[in-house]
Amino acid sequence: MTSRLHTRILALVLILAGLAIFFTKVTKYDYPLRPSDTRTVWDVEIYLEFDTSNRPVRVESFIPARGPMRTVSEEQFYNGPFGLRLDSDAETGNRKAIWTYRYPDGNKVLRYRTSILEETVQTPLPNTMEQPPERADLFFESDLERQAFIVWSAGLRRQSDNDVSLVELALQTIFSTDVSDELSALIPARGDDIGRLELARAFLESEGVSARIANGIYLEGPRRRTEVHHWLEYNLEGEDRRYFPSGRPEAFFAMWYGVGELVDAQGVSDFDVQIGLQPSLMSAQNVLRNTTAEPSPLIKMFSFTGLAINTQLVYRVLVTIPVGILILVFLRQFVGLQTLGTFMPVLIGIAFRETALLMGIMLFTGLVILGLAMRFYLEKLQLLLVPRLAVVLTFIVLCMAGITIFMADNGQQIGLSISLFPMVILTMTIERMSIVWEEYSAADAIKQGLGSLLVASVTYLAMTQTQVEYLMFNFPELLLVIMGICLIIGKYMGLRLSELTRFKQLAVNQKETDAV
Amino acid sequence: MLFDRIRLLKQAGVMGLNERNLRLVNDLNPRRLMRLVNDKLETKTLCAQADIPTPRLFGTVETSFDMRRLPEMLKNPTGVAIKPANGSQGNGILVVAEPMNDAWKLASGRRVAYEDLKFHVSNILSGMYSLGGLPDKAMIEERVIFSQVFDHITFKGVPDIRIIVLKGIPMFAMLRLATAESDGKANLHKGGVGVGLDLVTGVTALGMQHGKYIDIHPDTANTLQQLQIPYWDEMLLMAARAYDVTKLGYLGVDIVLDQVRGPLLLEMNARPGIAIQVANRSGLRFHVDALLKEKAEHLLPEKRVEIAKRVFRELIPEPVKASDITIDS
Repeated sequence: MTSRLHTRILALVLILAGLAIFFTKVTKYDYPLRPSDTRTVWDVEIYLEFDTSNRPVRVESFIPARGPMRTVSEEQFYNGPFGLRLDSDAETGNRKAIWTYRYPDGNKVLRYRTSILEETVQTPLPNTMEQPPERADLFFESDLERQAFIVWSAGLRRQSDNDVSLVELALQTIFSTDVSDELSALIPARGDDIGRLELARAFLESEGVSARIANGIYLEGPRRRTEVHHWLEYNLEGEDRRYFPSGRPEAFFAMWYGVGELVDAQGVSDFDVQIGLQPSLMSAQNVLRNTTAEPSPLIKMFSFTGLAINTQLVYRVLVTIPVGILILVFLRQFVGLQTLGTFMPVLIGIAFRETALLMGIMLFTGLVILGLAMRFYLEKLQLLLVPRLAVVLTFIVLCMAGITIFMADNGQQIGLSISLFPMVILTMTIERMSIVWEEYSAADAIKQGLGSLLVASVTYLAMTQTQVEYLMFNFPELLLVIMGICLIIGKYMGLRLSELTRFKQLAVNQKETDAV
Repeated sequence: MLFDRIRLLKQAGVMGLNERNLRLVNDLNPRRLMRLVNDKLETKTLCAQADIPTPRLFGTVETSFDMRRLPEMLKNPTGVAIKPANGSQGNGILVVAEPMNDAWKLASGRRVAYEDLKFHVSNILSGMYSLGGLPDKAMIEERVIFSQVFDHITFKGVPDIRIIVLKGIPMFAMLRLATAESDGKANLHKGGVGVGLDLVTGVTALGMQHGKYIDIHPDTANTLQQLQIPYWDEMLLMAARAYDVTKLGYLGVDIVLDQVRGPLLLEMNARPGIAIQVANRSGLRFHVDALLKEKAEHLLPEKRVEIAKRVFRELIPEPVKASDITIDS
C-alpha cells in the first residue's frame, strides 16, 4: 500500500508542477491557448522632423525599453545619412537612439518603428521593485525646501493610519489643484506632471517604497499624433500599483523611465516630434514567436522557441507522441482493447503522418495482408527467426515499390509520402500477428490487428490535431501532467470495459443469487 | 445497465486483469523468481528437491555437439517427448511413441526419419519456439501415458489440471480439456474447455468454453459433471509444495495424470489467467482476501491444503450443479 501512496504523491507533484507552469505561462506571460487566438499588436512610430543648417547635429531619443515582461519586436530605424548608435542604461532599462551627423543641410527626417504589445494595470512590474529602495538622502535645493518637506510629510503621517493610506493621501495632495504652502515650495515650476511625480517618487522612496516614473503613451486607437503621458509605478506591500495623474487608461505602454525628456536635440531648428500609433491584429503564435520578452529561466526551460527551426520541427512531432501514448494507455487499461505489441499502434499512428489517414489504413491493411501471406508461406520452410524477419521486410519493400510504381503509372503521386512509411514497424506487426495467429487463434490475431488499427487511427487523429499540437509544443510542461496521469492509471485496479462482457456469465449468476 | 454490470461483478468479487497484475503478479511474484518457472528444466530441478513427481528427464541437448547423444536419449520403450525448455503454449513439442524400422513413430501415427528429429531439435536450439527468439535448450523426457479417466470428455490432446496457488495455499482449480476446435490443445484461448473443480472433493462441476457455460463436451457430447478426479489430495499437496520451491505467491500449477505414475507436474506459470473465475462460477477477490489473511507460508504443505479446503468451503458452501444456473445457448 505504501507504493500506492508513493505513486499518488509523485503523480500529484508532477501534475501540480505541470499545471503551475502552464497557468503561469497563460496568466502571467499571456501565452495564447489556441493557435487561432489573435492579439492586438501596436505599431508605434517616433517621427522626428527638423531643419539643419550645416552645424553638427545630435538627436537623442528614448526608444521603448526592453524588460522581462515586455514585447518589443520588429524594430526599424530610418536614419537617412545620420549615424546611429544605441545606448542602454542597465539600471533603469532605458534605451536611447542617438543619431549624429556632422554637416547636415536642409530639412531632415528620422524615424523609428516597432511593434509592441499593450500593457495594462495587471502587467506586473519587475521583481526588483519589490525590494525597498536604498535610502538615499533626499536632495533639497535649500533648507527651506527641506523644512517644507519635513513639515508636509509629518503632517501626512499623522493623518494616515497605515502605509497604504499614507501613499494614497500623499498622491492625492500632491496632485490636487489647490496646494498647501509647504507643498508649493516643493513642486518645481515645470508645468507638466513631471515635477509632482518626482516629488511623489521622492516621498515614496523616503518611506521605503520602490517607485519609478514611467513615461509612455496611452493606447486608445489609431493616432497620427499621440501625447506622451507620465505616471508613477510603485510596489506597495508586495502589490504592483500605478498612479496616473492624467486619467487612467485602459491600455498603455511605458517607453522610458525617469525624468528625462523623450527627445534631446542639438544643432537643429523647427523641431517636430510625432508619435504615431496603429493597432493591428496578429496571430497569437506570431506574437509568441516574435516576442523578445525574457521569461524567467524556469519558463524558458519549458520552451522550444530558443531552438533552431529544424530542431523545433522535430519536437513539434515528438511532444505529441505522449498524447497518443496516453490514449493508448486509456484504451488498454480502461477499455481493454487488445493490440499487437505495446506501443506498436502509436508507432503506426505516427507512420500515418506520411500518408494521411485513409491512404495509411489502406496501405497498412494491404501490406499486412501481403506480409502475412508471405510469413505463412515461409512458415513451411521453417527458417530461423532473424533471416525470416529479413525476408518479410524485403518483401514489404518490394510490395511498397510495386504499389508506388503502379500508382505512378496511373497518375497518382504517393511515392514521396510512402517512402518513409516505416517498414520495420510493419514487419514487426506482421511477425507479432502471425505469432498470435499460431499461439492463440486467427480470430484473436484479426481482433488484435483491427484493435491496433483503431488505436493507430485514434492516436493519429489526436496527435495531428492542431490544437493538441499547439498546446503540447508551446506548453511542454503538460508532459509532466501526462506522466502524472499515467502514474495514476498505473495503479488502477478496476475492471476493464471488455471484461464486463468477458465475465457476463458471472454477473448473471450474481443477479440470480441476489434474487434468491 | 453498464453500472449495474459493474456493481454485480464487484459483488461477485470478480477480478480483472488490472487487479491481477497489480495485486497478484506485481505484489506476490518478484521478477527474479519468475525465471524459475519459465525454464522447464529449472522447474524440474526444483520439483525434484520437493519430491514433486515430474516426467523423467532422459537428457537435454544444449549444443549441436550434444546431438550425438540424441539416439541414446530416444531409446525409451514407452516413447519420449521432445520439448523446448522455454517454449510456451505447448509449441514445439514432439511426442515420439516408439522406434519403427530404422525410423520413429510419432504419437500422431506419422513415421519420421532420425534426420527429421534432428532437424526439429536444432530448430528448438535456434530459438524457433521460445518467444523472444532466443537460443533455447531441448529436453528429452519420458512420454506421459495419459490416464483414461478423461477419455470420454476430451477430443484427442492432453487433458490437464490447473491449480492456482496463493501464498502456498491452493485456491482454485480447473480441468482443461481439448476440443476439435482447439486442435488437441487444452488451451482456453483456442477453444478448449475449462471445467470448474470443487477444491475440497476434486469433483467436476460445470464446463466453460469461450466464456460461456456448457454442461457437455462439445465434441463427445458426454456430460462434464460429477467426475471425480483421481489422486485429488495428492495433486493439492503437489501444488502446495510447488510454492515451497518457487516462493511465487501467485502460481499456476499444471498437472497431468499418468496411467502408471499418477499425477505429474508438467509446468508452472507465474501469471496464470483469470478465466478460471468463470469456470468456477466465482470471483477470485474474496478468496484472495481470505487466503492473504491466513499467513500460512511457513506451515507444512499438508496444513496448507487443510486451510485451502476450509476457506474454499467457507466461501463456496455447496458445489453448484448445472440445474442451479442458467446456461446461455
